[in-house]
Amino acid sequence: MPDVTDSLRVSTARALVTTGALLYIPSNVIPVMTMTVAGKTEQLTVLGGVKELWDSNLPAIAGVVFLASFVVPFLKVVALGWILWLHGTDRHQGARDSIHRIVHRIGSWSMIDIFLLSVLAAVGQLGALGSVTAQPGAIYFCGVMISCLLAAEIYKPRLIWESRSHTAP
Amino acid sequence: MSPIGKKTFQPALALSVAGLFALLLANTSPVLIFDVAGRIQAGYIVTGIKELFMQGYWPIAALVFVASMLAPAVYLSSVAYVSAACSMKLRLPWILQALRLSEWTEPWNLIPVYSIATVVSVVKLRMIGAVSWNDGARWVLAVALLTLFAQQVFERRLVEHRLEALGLVTNPEDA
Repeated sequence: MPDVTDSLRVSTARALVTTGALLYIPSNVIPVMTMTVAGKTEQLTVLGGVKELWDSNLPAIAGVVFLASFVVPFLKVVALGWILWLHGTDRHQGARDSIHRIVHRIGSWSMIDIFLLSVLAAVGQLGALGSVTAQPGAIYFCGVMISCLLAAEIYKPRLIWESRSHTAP
Repeated sequence: MSPIGKKTFQPALALSVAGLFALLLANTSPVLIFDVAGRIQAGYIVTGIKELFMQGYWPIAALVFVASMLAPAVYLSSVAYVSAACSMKLRLPWILQALRLSEWTEPWNLIPVYSIATVVSVVKLRMIGAVSWNDGARWVLAVALLTLFAQQVFERRLVEHRLEALGLVTNPEDA
């Protein structure tokens, strides 16, 4: 029988994934940074940054940022939500286990936008000539990232197999 | 006889110690040099963290600090400590705590992601002005590669067996 710690793990992971899903919307709507270039200020959302790279004829870099900053967080929320939705049932246990491991492995790549902001803020402090400042969207983006990372850490893959047997195959 | 040879833990020890040196150098050398209309600015890893903090975004600054400085340092130190103990068959204190610490910090050690973000930032900054790599960027890349290799060769299962053989744990589940 699952112990109290395990049920606490499941409910905490569910709460974290719900938080991540709720924060995902503002993280993509509200700008994450403001860039000032030669006196002209522009606010950039996650997708705005991708579009800027695409418009600059850098499709490969735009693709990497799009995948890491937009697709991966979305898939993480959906995948963890699906895994937790089916918790305690026998359905798709093998697939859930594999997806959990993939989420755990690739999930951290969504931090690329936050690190990008940090590197740009480090060198982009030249006033009107060229500067970068953070915007509230970055806080929501961090929230999505931390919620999903903690949820994947708290909900151990062994819990997926609990309904059929008490140990992983 | 234990199937685990002395050499099993030496790659993890070598990679983690090398990673710690590279991390130290990555944090003490500028990563990028940015030049707009003759005004030059050098950026260290810590400069971005400090700047985000100064802008009032301390949660982001804290996250970047943990993921790019603290977690890599703690992860590499704990892997080096555990690998040294296992490799030299030493009964070092707090070895189980160090093993747990390596597990807790591994998902937060995001220096490989930081190295990719550095590449993307160079591309973005080239739209504004002249940007050049500095030694710090090379050391960040070195830490990223050494971390990825260390994660591959540092096997918890083998560590548990060695700790069991040293009499530090009776049940691998305790580790």
